[in-house]
Amino acid sequence: MLKIEGLSVSYGKSLVLNGIDLELGVGEALAVIGESGTGKTTLGLSIMRLVEGTVQGIIRFDGKDLLKLTDKEMRPIRWSRIAMVFQSVNNVLNPVHTILSQVAEPIIEHGLSSRKEAQNRAIELLSHFGLPQSCFAAYPHQLSSGEQQRGLIAMALANDPDLLILDEPLSSLDAINRADVGRLLKESATGHIMLVFTHDLATASRLADRVAVLYGGKIVEQGPAQDVLSRPRHPYTRALIRAYPNMTTVKDLQGIRGRMDGAISGCPFHPRCTQAIDICSREVPHLVSSQEHQVACHRGGIVTLLSTRNLTKSFGSLKAVDSVSLHIEGGETLALVGESSSGKTTLAKTIVGLYQLSEGAVYLEGAKVDSWRKDFYQSVQIVFQNPGESLSHRLSVLEAVVEPLDIQGIGTREEREHKAVQVLGEVELPQSREFLGKYPHQLSGGEAQRVAIARALVLEPKLLIADEPTTFLDASVQAKILKLLLNLQEQRGLSMLFITHDIALARKVSDRMAIMMGGKIIEEGPSSQIVVAPKQNYTKSLLDTASALRIDEPGAARFLISKER
Amino acid sequence: MHIDLKREIKESSAGKTGLVILLIMVSIATLAPLIAPYDPCQQSISSLLSPSLSHWLGTNQVGQDIWSRLVFGARTSLLVGFGVGIVSTLLATIFGVSAALVGGLYDKVVMRVVDAFIVIPMVIVVILVAAYLKPSILILMLLLSLLGWQGGARILRAQALSLREKGHIAAARSFGAHRFYIARRHIVPDLGPILVVDFIYSIRRAVFMEAGLAFMGITDPTVVSWGMMMRDALSFSYLDIWQWWLIPTGVALSLTIVGLTFIGYAAEPVIEPRLRGAEVA
Repeated sequence: MLKIEGLSVSYGKSLVLNGIDLELGVGEALAVIGESGTGKTTLGLSIMRLVEGTVQGIIRFDGKDLLKLTDKEMRPIRWSRIAMVFQSVNNVLNPVHTILSQVAEPIIEHGLSSRKEAQNRAIELLSHFGLPQSCFAAYPHQLSSGEQQRGLIAMALANDPDLLILDEPLSSLDAINRADVGRLLKESATGHIMLVFTHDLATASRLADRVAVLYGGKIVEQGPAQDVLSRPRHPYTRALIRAYPNMTTVKDLQGIRGRMDGAISGCPFHPRCTQAIDICSREVPHLVSSQEHQVACHRGGIVTLLSTRNLTKSFGSLKAVDSVSLHIEGGETLALVGESSSGKTTLAKTIVGLYQLSEGAVYLEGAKVDSWRKDFYQSVQIVFQNPGESLSHRLSVLEAVVEPLDIQGIGTREEREHKAVQVLGEVELPQSREFLGKYPHQLSGGEAQRVAIARALVLEPKLLIADEPTTFLDASVQAKILKLLLNLQEQRGLSMLFITHDIALARKVSDRMAIMMGGKIIEEGPSSQIVVAPKQNYTKSLLDTASALRIDEPGAARFLISKER
Repeated sequence: MHIDLKREIKESSAGKTGLVILLIMVSIATLAPLIAPYDPCQQSISSLLSPSLSHWLGTNQVGQDIWSRLVFGARTSLLVGFGVGIVSTLLATIFGVSAALVGGLYDKVVMRVVDAFIVIPMVIVVILVAAYLKPSILILMLLLSLLGWQGGARILRAQALSLREKGHIAAARSFGAHRFYIARRHIVPDLGPILVVDFIYSIRRAVFMEAGLAFMGITDPTVVSWGMMMRDALSFSYLDIWQWWLIPTGVALSLTIVGLTFIGYAAEPVIEPRLRGAEVA
């Protein structure tokens, strides 16, 4: 039984851990995840009482507060009751002893059994963790780092500890060994408490039942591993997952804006958070325990930016959009996929009030939208399919980008122009006088669409609805525009409703997908799930007909030819 | 669709001819006091003179110089023409564009009023009203404008309706723009070429109507007008005088109308792009 209460650790003036609360029962495995520098290793070391900084709080293990024990009292607990596998393999093993004697050493040290029995237990453990017999007598420098890692794990388990702390246990292993050792660790963890520190989300999901996300010395989210990793609620957790390459994510990798800073007042993540409000910089949020999944966020986790409920738009007797309910979270992309005339554009235009809705309602940040006024358009903007048409042929680039500010009456003339030029820079367009004075017919398709995007972004909306923004562009320009949109999402936390008929494109940019057919949403879910395991036949046919490069194996081709004969 | 009205007119020979004629007429009208040797209303005892060096086109029955009256007649004609052109195009724009943008009941009411006016023959209404009012030139302009904007309004409404669905106007709406802003910043400038065509049509109609009403003698008799001159000339048709009294006036009026028609004809593809021939590259 391990219970940590209000644990704070500081090195000199810098606070590395700030009020950590954790509770672990026997048989539980918890993974603490976070970027490097978030204080994972420090947390492990402070449980082992090996940390050199100032430690405050309570670490209650088996009823005793470890922090109150003397070194002498701590010694028998260390290694026999609590064992740790350290991160850097190279420095841990003693170069002048063989691996076998090093695994046997803690057993002998703690006087638990005879030398002979210790040897046997060591051999058993080493073989269990897949080290070949020939390696037993080898010195650490003769072993590969993977073999050393297996040795270290065997060493930690030698005394059958109650609490096993693993700091990046699998990071020095390749994928195949990782799976193997991971499985063995998971097996041997039954009946123990296991605490895993890792930046590797796959390791966390492989080893642990529960996950705690550490950022800036605080736990920002905690809950069942499956739940946290598939439905993250803290913006940091989601950002971490987005940055992590794996086989289940289909969207392009995205980083996290800014960098981690120490000594921040309020929520440690607020400078990098895209949905931060005033209170975030002033007050530290606490883990709110609603059910099992807890999140420390003043906004209650990732906000739902826009939602529709039973939205219907009819033209006469035709229901172009039929009772559509969907939601878009802050900073995510929802792709709306469907063939032409499925009602995608009508839905988009109804959401932004270009069409009057027939039934249902639109909610912006939880509040029902009754009238589409100027303030609505400060939050929601739309980019249309054809940039050549959506830009007035009479307005120059600068005039076009300034127009939204003119309409909203924001700033003085100079401020508006300054802002417009700045946004043009953000969408990677030239900011020269010459370019600013160009008219739409003097621009290429890609440039025109960038101008249209800049114009939509100049109001700094939270949601950008992009209606087939790249259909008029060739593939390389399309790729650049999409990269741009994803970067903007990373930098500004822009939410997107991305409308397209191209599911191959949608999967690269979206977190979630909604499939639309005949005015209805027929399927909705995480993009990876829709792409891999579509439920509806229509979705399957969309996937089957999506563009793919059909590169057949030479053998298969021959087979076909011979069959035709 | 990028319409260049100037190019449209300049590239057609009819357009060029029309422009030249109109330009000449406008210069004559503006420079009338310099060109005319006499006060057009100055009566004298030397009536019904034949053309001479002092009276180029002779004099009329009350001894007024016909040339001077012809020159000042251009003033009246074009003043009424442009005045009506401006006011009726303005009315057409206000009602046409607002009907398109506001829609609903307002649109229906406006368009029914337009329909009603289009059905009623304008000439008869004008004659009836003018016969009762004996209108001054200002009232006449107002009358012609009030009866002449409906056709234009119908065309402008149709165009505004199609413009309203255009991307850049949808975009402006998605920035939170109000109808008035959209009308002022986008729709009216986009309607520009059509407004010019409507303006030309209105001028032509007004010039014609003014002359016609004056000819029938139901306008202010103190105003110098080509229509009235022709009416006066006709009552002396038994003399040779018609050669220098009736013909030059008729020609002046016809030229003005033909000039305006030419410009309108050249600019017509603006309203109906299908009239444009295949463009030579």
